[in-house]
Amino acid sequence: MVVRPEIEREFETQDLLLNVGPQHPSTHGVFRMVMEIDGELVKDVVPYIGYLHRGAEKLCETMDYRQGIGFMDRTEYLAAFNAELSYVMAVEELAGLEVPDRAQWLRMILCEMNRIASHLMFMGAFGIDVGVFGTPFIYAWREREAIFDLFEEVSGDRMMYAYFRPGGLAWEVPVNFTERVREVLKAVNQGIKDFDGLLTENEVFIARTRGVGAISAADAIDFGMSGPSLRASGVPLDIRRTEPYLKYAEVDFDVVVGQNGDVYDRYLCRLQELRESVRIVEQCLEKLPDGPIMPEKMPRMLRTPPGEVYIRTEAPRGEYGIYLVSEGGNRPYRLKVRSACLSNLQALKHMSVGQYVADAIIVLGSIDIVLSEVDR
Amino acid sequence: MTSELFGADLNPWVDAIVRLLMWVGFMTVVAMGLIYLERKVLARFMARIGPQKTGPMGLLQSVADALKLIGKEDLRPRNADPWTFELGPYLVFIPIFMSFLAIPLVFDWHIRLFELGLLYFVAISSINLVGWVMAGWGSDNRYAMLGALRAVAQGISYELPLVLSLVAVAIFNQTLNLEEMILFQGQTPNILWQPLAFMIFFVAALAEMNRPPFDIPVGESEVVGGPFVEYSGIRWSMFFLGEYTALFIMALLASVVFLGGWAWPLGEELGRWWQVILMTVKTSAFIFLVFWVRASMPRLRIDQLMAFSWKVLLPLTFAQVLVNGLVLAYEWDYWVSRVALGVAGLAGIVLLYAIIDRSVRRPRPRPAPVAQSEAVTA
Amino acid sequence: MKGLAKSLMTTLSVFARKPVTRDYPNYHKPIPERDRAFPLLLWDFEIDEPFCTGCHACERACPVECMTVLMKDNPNHRSQGGDSSRRKIIDKFWIDYARCMRCNICVEVCNFDAIAMNNTWQGHELSVHDRSDLVMDLPQLLAQSKTGNLKEWVAD
Repeated sequence: MVVRPEIEREFETQDLLLNVGPQHPSTHGVFRMVMEIDGELVKDVVPYIGYLHRGAEKLCETMDYRQGIGFMDRTEYLAAFNAELSYVMAVEELAGLEVPDRAQWLRMILCEMNRIASHLMFMGAFGIDVGVFGTPFIYAWREREAIFDLFEEVSGDRMMYAYFRPGGLAWEVPVNFTERVREVLKAVNQGIKDFDGLLTENEVFIARTRGVGAISAADAIDFGMSGPSLRASGVPLDIRRTEPYLKYAEVDFDVVVGQNGDVYDRYLCRLQELRESVRIVEQCLEKLPDGPIMPEKMPRMLRTPPGEVYIRTEAPRGEYGIYLVSEGGNRPYRLKVRSACLSNLQALKHMSVGQYVADAIIVLGSIDIVLSEVDR
Repeated sequence: MTSELFGADLNPWVDAIVRLLMWVGFMTVVAMGLIYLERKVLARFMARIGPQKTGPMGLLQSVADALKLIGKEDLRPRNADPWTFELGPYLVFIPIFMSFLAIPLVFDWHIRLFELGLLYFVAISSINLVGWVMAGWGSDNRYAMLGALRAVAQGISYELPLVLSLVAVAIFNQTLNLEEMILFQGQTPNILWQPLAFMIFFVAALAEMNRPPFDIPVGESEVVGGPFVEYSGIRWSMFFLGEYTALFIMALLASVVFLGGWAWPLGEELGRWWQVILMTVKTSAFIFLVFWVRASMPRLRIDQLMAFSWKVLLPLTFAQVLVNGLVLAYEWDYWVSRVALGVAGLAGIVLLYAIIDRSVRRPRPRPAPVAQSEAVTA
Repeated sequence: MKGLAKSLMTTLSVFARKPVTRDYPNYHKPIPERDRAFPLLLWDFEIDEPFCTGCHACERACPVECMTVLMKDNPNHRSQGGDSSRRKIIDKFWIDYARCMRCNICVEVCNFDAIAMNNTWQGHELSVHDRSDLVMDLPQLLAQSKTGNLKEWVAD
């Protein structure tokens, strides 16, 4: 068929630029992406970050090590215990502090509980992204609330705990701690069951998520992804297993991996990790020893010798690393947060180009970003 | 020619206007009640309580909302097209109210009883798509435009299965008059003999009303409200009112066409108030089903939605129409023909089940946990 | 369609369960003793003066610099004929609650146990119309402690 040029000019089509965010219900905070769409198909995605940049790293350089903890909480507010853990472990490594056993076990319990809370948050937000009207969100928040009540009893705050200290914990946990944790775990198990029933086998959910936003293992590694988003592609990289910190070498748990790295696998991995976390916490409760929670001799003001250290831990979203340089004295010379969200976000374009607009939204939801960690 | 209304003889025009006004007032109240009910019922599905502060048990929540919406400024974006933007809501709202004209609520309670009532209903109920396009195009917003285009694609695609499932029932009942249809179902409701048609009607009605899992045009997490993203105040509330009125009308139609209206199972001779109760129960059951589905279904994607309509629902409705025609053409015995139809309908449902199962493969086994030794080190 | 049925059954089972809503403004969840709202100053009932001597320890340790402390000579000191053993006492104290990040460091560094985190509901419900209303001065910081309804901290 011969198309006359003037007709072709007349019917020239253009791609539509669609600005999503920073105020949009499903960008999980203040994330902005500009999508180039052809009808409903996404041809290009340009992400913009930095709306929540507070300079937390730089702020920490002006403070002593204890003051920095509060800022670490705020870099990842959905899993603040995990963020604190990396930071205090880096300081301990530098200062050569020995953490008592009990403090380590308690840290493990709290971090795994926080992982549960964070993954529940993912389940809820992701449920809204795929379009269930709020139901999974409320289910998630029901159990998350129980966990937060527990954290409030332990640390005094619901989100910004400031509870870990270089050397151990700020204060002892309440007397009925283990019973309370068991209670919460029971509620969490019920919540996991609800999620499983609500979403996992739902045909509409499967149709929406299976095969969407797939990324191969090689690509995922190239993008520097980590955490459940990477494991969904079939790479069994879990820092808890590969470089055990705290007491992870002494508990029995499985590294959950997916097969095709699509949105559905990322969902399933997190669902399964919830169960694994419950398992870890149960073992921790059995092995929890008595004893001090801080080293006997702690200086009033913690000072570190000059040196540098990189500590990474497995946060709910992936590798949360702290690079700490000290030139002596009581404050870091340089602090760098290696954010898992930022690295995972790099793969967004790779995963969502060629999909539908609705898919790009759930791909963004499935990598589970926290904007305060991306921007810091 | 005069019409009788509450014992008074009226000029037919006056009579029509009075009935219409009564309906519009009634419908506004019903829509507000439905909004309240939806919030309460959805809340329970989510382990919440729902509105409770405004009035006893939050009963006045919708009234408060309505007052707030009326008091709100009616904003128009500067670049919006004034005519299409401002007239859009009317075109969504009026056809939905007009589609009411034909529906008999209980015996002799209706605005006008058309001989071709069903035809009138399906003819008028799709006009509101024009309003959606006008709203979406006129707001000069890309989300709104995407939403409007989605709404039209979806509305037109699901109009066909909806109409054809009604046609199947009309063939079976051999009438388009809704009251005659009710009388036809005096002993057994149509749903027993036309289960597939009811199922398709339900799905298509969900899509027509833009309810989850087919709320693609208004998808909150994608196009942020779709065509009415730019609307506020009274105009926005007109969309809302239209949405809930449509829900009520679909529920009425379902109970008239499939559930036996006011006749089954109590018969036609009982008093009018029994009929009202019967209709209320049937309508509420349908509406509860819609709410329930809303609480538990994710949203489909637009291409899956279209494929489901054109590749699955439409052939199945055609098959249903053909089967109905065949069974009636042979003029079998009363029970034989009905049982044949019922079996055919059930077979269709099994087919639908198989199709959905095949297109969405069963979930693979959960991600296999990796043994300690297999894990990558460093 | 089996999965759809399962979803519907899940939501129905939740429908039958009791709602989990807490009726917040009417019902206040009992909060634990170690709950941290915002820092406030404690009142020494024995001598009828604040514990705080205005030593600036908390001001220096505060990561967000939300405190301003001024000290003065204690008119109630023994040398002046009073019955207090505090030579210096707090003169003016401001805490900007809008800046405070509730890290508990001020409580930990205090040598006189003069500052504590508010662990009552009044400490949480602090909505105001103007940010400057969140800058608390000395009488406001002491008011809660004077009523005596602060719960004792059990943490060691």
